Amino acid sequence: MTALQDKPAMPVEKASGSVVATLFRFQSVFGLLAVFVAAIIFSPRRDGAILFLSADNLANVVRAVSEIGIIAVGMTFVILIGGIDLSVGAVLGLAAVGSAVLMVESDWGFLPSIVVVLAIGLVFGALQGMATAMIGIQSFIVTLAGLQIARGLARIWSDGQGVAIAYGDGPNEAPSTFALLGERTFGGLVPIPVLIFAVVAIAAVVFLRISAFSRHLYAVGGNEKAARLSGVPVIRVKIAVFAICGLLASLAGIVHAVQLNQGSPNDGIGYELDAIAAVVIGGTSLAGGRGSVAGTVAGALLLGVLNNILALNNIDSNIQLLIKGLVIVAAAALQRLRPAS
Amino acid sequence: MKIHKLSLAVAAVTALVLAGCGTTSERTSDEPQAQSSKECKGADGKYVIGMSQANVAEPYRQRMDDDIKAAAAEVPQFEVKFADAAQDNAKQVADVDNYITQQIDLLIISPNEAKPLTAVVKKAFDKGIPVLVLDRKVEGDAYTGFIGGDNVQIGTEAGKYVAEKVLPNGGSVVELKGLAGATPQAERNQGFAAGIKANPKIKIIATASGDWLREKGQAQMDALLKANPKIDVVYAHNDPMAEGAYLAAKAVGREKEMKFIGIDALPIPSGGIKAVEQGRLTATFTYPTNGKEAIAAAKKILVDCGTVEKSQVLPTRLIDKANAAQIYALENPNG
Repeated sequence: MTALQDKPAMPVEKASGSVVATLFRFQSVFGLLAVFVAAIIFSPRRDGAILFLSADNLANVVRAVSEIGIIAVGMTFVILIGGIDLSVGAVLGLAAVGSAVLMVESDWGFLPSIVVVLAIGLVFGALQGMATAMIGIQSFIVTLAGLQIARGLARIWSDGQGVAIAYGDGPNEAPSTFALLGERTFGGLVPIPVLIFAVVAIAAVVFLRISAFSRHLYAVGGNEKAARLSGVPVIRVKIAVFAICGLLASLAGIVHAVQLNQGSPNDGIGYELDAIAAVVIGGTSLAGGRGSVAGTVAGALLLGVLNNILALNNIDSNIQLLIKGLVIVAAAALQRLRPAS
Repeated sequence: MKIHKLSLAVAAVTALVLAGCGTTSERTSDEPQAQSSKECKGADGKYVIGMSQANVAEPYRQRMDDDIKAAAAEVPQFEVKFADAAQDNAKQVADVDNYITQQIDLLIISPNEAKPLTAVVKKAFDKGIPVLVLDRKVEGDAYTGFIGGDNVQIGTEAGKYVAEKVLPNGGSVVELKGLAGATPQAERNQGFAAGIKANPKIKIIATASGDWLREKGQAQMDALLKANPKIDVVYAHNDPMAEGAYLAAKAVGREKEMKFIGIDALPIPSGGIKAVEQGRLTATFTYPTNGKEAIAAAKKILVDCGTVEKSQVLPTRLIDKANAAQIYALENPNG
């Protein structure tokens, strides 16, 4: 690890560099463009129309990406400080169960349910942050345990059963306000979950650009010891980052429940790996200190477009896995070639 | 400058949120359109069928896909595409969405779970795509036909078989259940209880959950064998768990003391029929994959321009030593 001053003291997006550096910095954006163009070329056609480009299909792509995208934004923060969060899929399941149980079985209102579920994710994340920052357990281990705990809590809370969500004003019905979260807007074209994802992503980008916190974030990820010596409140930064990640996983769980009309304790199995994949493709270094939310968003969209075009062409599901694996390796390999600063 | 940027962002976010609140619902139309909204092209047409499978990790579901593939090969007008949801409801919703985009002519779906798949199945149905639902149901009636087995009936048959044939003089039964929360698990349990009622001398002395898995069935049985010195029958909700229980008993040399009964009877080398033929299981009950029946129904709808029954429940069948070899040869002529 180099000394702190060798690392950009500001978000990487602002770091200046040569043309090559720029290319690498926006690796995932170019990757997304390439996959998008390939999707158009390889899209099945019906009556001369390119099916991939149909408004309905593009809406499906972004809708399917929104949950992983929301989680991946939180994961970016964690990975930026050199950590990892394996609990996000299980926290998503816990939040999906929580919103269903509170609104359907306990007949809570929309707002209190959402606030409590988000708070659960926030506190859960903060506790994991404390365990890793204050006790000094590696985040991989802490969140591996967190995964089991969140999954266990979800199973206990739901009695191990999926909790079906019906909408209405009666008892055992979720408020119709909740149903709106799963609807579409702008002429029935844009799913609300996509708007939520967009808001989260924009807020994260803005936050990283304007807050002093972001300097701390990159400093901790770049060189924790140097950051501590230069007065960065490392422990507070870590706790905050895991809290944000838990909060966003919870938000994704709420979106998940409303999209599927059910909260099941088995929801979100393996989602942590998809989120990590999006972050890696987005060019964020797993060693910490380098990367951007914009890259992650592009990475998530890239995976979404890839999933969609493979499915539209009915590529065998085993070969789909193979292709996705190769894309992740390719993205990581590009990282290694990237100039140091 | 910073404040300016921040307020811009806040404004943008607010605008997005407000836009979101003024949403219009797409799901307002509740009357399902008739399936005949597409003209039937009959025998001259070419048809693409999309099959959305809950997962292919279970041999039963892989076999369902294989049966569909084999049956469709006999119909020259049919081309079938397959998607594997890998037990993820969200993935299965996306799979069906993709089929709708591809404008398939007919959808066959074996849902991972009912509630989360109901809306997207209705969406396909409302677009005029005939939908055949296999094995597990969806809610409401926005589909063309359901084809499945009756798990309560299968459980009842198994219970009756134990009460009348295996233990006419009574005895102790251990029940290995499927994954908690799964409908077939509840129904196979409920049916069995009804089936053994006729013989009050039969006691279920222990139940455990094997989650449909061979290794879990084995581990649970390890413990049950230690706790129970006398077991006459092991009733497992599927063949893999029954096989696991058999292995556990064999490991302590007690496999001859008891009889093992499973469900599913897949005609594959690792399936229940072979296990009965080779003497590990005493009996199993067929749980049809419905693949052949689904393609027959699809042919009726697309090629013959006819209609199908809303619900087609296929009967189960007892497989024991007497008929195992013969049925295996019939169902799997190449195996």
